[in-house]
Amino acid sequence: MDLAKMSNDKKLYLCKWYFKVGFAFLPFLWMVNAIWFFTEAFRKPKYEEQQQIKRYVIFSTIGSVIWAIIILSWVIAFQVNRASWGEFADNISFIIPLGVP
Amino acid sequence: MNLKDFLIIILKLCLINSGYAERTKDQMYEIFDGRTTCFRRLNATHQVGCSSKKGGSTGIIHYVETLSDLNFIMENGTGSSYIPVMPLQLLKPSTLKLILDKNLITGIVLYNNSALESYTHERSCPNQMSNVDKTCNTAWNPDGSGILYQDLPFPVHYVNDDDLDRMKACFSKFNNYSYETHSKRSLCSVELDAFMFASTNTPTCRRRSQSKTNLNPVKFCDPLGGENVWSTLFPMDDERARSKSFVALAARLDTTSLFNGVFPGAASPIASLVTFLSTADYLKRMVRDVHNYEMNVLFLLFNGETYDYIGSQRVVYDMERGEFPLKSESETNPMPLIRVKDIELYLELSHLSKGDGIFVHNTAEKSDFFSTLQSNNNFSRLETVDGSIPPASIHSFLKENAKLRGAVIANYKDAYVNKFFNSIFDNVSNVDYHYYNTSDYSTIPPDSIQSFTANVSEMLARSIYSKIVGRNYSGGERVRIELVDELYNCYLLDADCKVHQAVQRKKLRETPYNSYGLYVGVTVVPNLLTYAIGLTLAWLTGDVMPDSGLCVKENHTPLYQYFNMSESLDNLNSTLCYRTTMNFSEAVSPAFIIDDYDWKSGKYSSWSESTWKDLTVRMFLKPAPAHERFTLAIGSITMIMSMIVIYFVKTRADVLFATAENCSPTNC
Repeated sequence: MDLAKMSNDKKLYLCKWYFKVGFAFLPFLWMVNAIWFFTEAFRKPKYEEQQQIKRYVIFSTIGSVIWAIIILSWVIAFQVNRASWGEFADNISFIIPLGVP
Repeated sequence: MNLKDFLIIILKLCLINSGYAERTKDQMYEIFDGRTTCFRRLNATHQVGCSSKKGGSTGIIHYVETLSDLNFIMENGTGSSYIPVMPLQLLKPSTLKLILDKNLITGIVLYNNSALESYTHERSCPNQMSNVDKTCNTAWNPDGSGILYQDLPFPVHYVNDDDLDRMKACFSKFNNYSYETHSKRSLCSVELDAFMFASTNTPTCRRRSQSKTNLNPVKFCDPLGGENVWSTLFPMDDERARSKSFVALAARLDTTSLFNGVFPGAASPIASLVTFLSTADYLKRMVRDVHNYEMNVLFLLFNGETYDYIGSQRVVYDMERGEFPLKSESETNPMPLIRVKDIELYLELSHLSKGDGIFVHNTAEKSDFFSTLQSNNNFSRLETVDGSIPPASIHSFLKENAKLRGAVIANYKDAYVNKFFNSIFDNVSNVDYHYYNTSDYSTIPPDSIQSFTANVSEMLARSIYSKIVGRNYSGGERVRIELVDELYNCYLLDADCKVHQAVQRKKLRETPYNSYGLYVGVTVVPNLLTYAIGLTLAWLTGDVMPDSGLCVKENHTPLYQYFNMSESLDNLNSTLCYRTTMNFSEAVSPAFIIDDYDWKSGKYSSWSESTWKDLTVRMFLKPAPAHERFTLAIGSITMIMSMIVIYFVKTRADVLFATAENCSPTNC
């Protein structure tokens, strides 16, 4: 899809849907939304739907940042404690590395 | 020269080159046999042994002859990491501490350059925690360094003389000068790859091997284990025979060493194993015409005894659960159950290489067997030893029945005579064996290991005879020293020997003999030597049946097995049908078959062996760091340059590539 060839109300519709669907534990969708519509929201000359698009872009950014923090802290916590959690860590692992505790 | 000629020359050159087709990888590396490497084993709490880094540990070769050579490189080595090539005797706890303290050594290559006085990496008290009293009051193996049970964070490899010469040559050519410039020039290096999959301990690697969520299921470790061999002197085929109690004659089947693939085990277990087989053979011939006997003899050969008595623990476990030799007593199973309490007297053969006497280590509950032995004695020194019992399978039985009467018969009193216990040097020269290959037994000298073993067998067999029959032997049978000679030859020198030819069955014959080894191994790989030894026991204690051609009995009973085997050592080609009571029983620690076994309890052996993919050793010339940086820089610059070029080509595509109408399908 090429945003340049889209009407403004179509853009708003798309941005809104991306934002909504992101609530289904899809932080990457929020991230895509934020990056994709960044130019539309902040760099294009003003138009009617821009204000709303801007809002969705900002919320998507906040959402994806929060998710990123959560995921990063989990990854760090898991990697640091994997050996000491023992059986629990093995049970929630999809890949168990070879040759390390 | 025109273009055509030029092209032909180029083509010819290509053809010449293809004659020496060798991959760059193969030109760079010199490959060694990497099998004789230390590997990782695990128990309920620890990991022991060695492992390289994933993909191999690399270091600059440094040839070491004395400890000062090693100290020299530790202080003056300016390279990033070193792998010393050092003599075996330097591998001791003090050296390891030195190496571990300084993070410069990434692996060890060992070689042998002289005759050693002692070499054993077993503990000073083998199997201490599985013995009855769990103490180490007597250092049975006084020289034991315990390195077999140490966790080494680097690979340790043992090289033969040819490989050592290659390494030494490379070292003197490239490394052995100007040590202060080691950080600046290209050096001869070696890569040891012995990466072990398992880690931490047995419960952890077992759990991970069985993990259901693991997307890439890997087996991390296998339990150590194999098969025990057992047999009875008199078949238990009638009520009278079943009611008899037993004299158990036991020995161990396995040994270990620090290096994969080298498990000679001459003094222990081979000497005791040969004594065991020769005793069984003599006993069988003595009782041929005996019909009234008071006790039966239970022959037991345990496997995995080196690792906390795997085999005997399992036999005792099975006996107490009413599953030895077979699970239940029913109509179809005429095999009576044998329990620990049925064993009236338990005799175990420990190290029985030549020593200055025979020592009988008694259990707390005394038996009168020692006096019987004395009456049949032909040794200048036969002593009874009371007090602590040496590490032996009898500990598994004593744990179940502290009142068991028994003895461990060995050539040592309070410390092993064998200075190479569980090492690669417990080999043929350690027992001073020479093969005489004779049917004339008088040519075997009286001070040979053969005579020693034959004398022990004779004393034992005659004593056991008077114990089970109730009177002294008066027949004309003698112990067969020529059989002892042959058996040693089988286990020490040539596995394709007469005895193995006599008992071999097709399946075993097809397997190369060099795969024979006395290490218990893992349960998933059958130990062929165990089968060969079992069949030898069957051959020596079996009864010859009138042959109907097929050598199978119509009504199938687990009491007997039937084998076609050679008539005698002198007549290998004519076969007879032997009926034997010999059978195998699983030697897997109960810890691995009890569903909710508490690993922390330490009740049973918990040893397992890590899995691995490759054991390789290769030598190569490591480029100077400046050279390496240069190569990296060239590569990086090429990549960046190509990106820039591509960018410009792409942005100016319309100029460079003239298209018909500058029209892409999507725009039109």
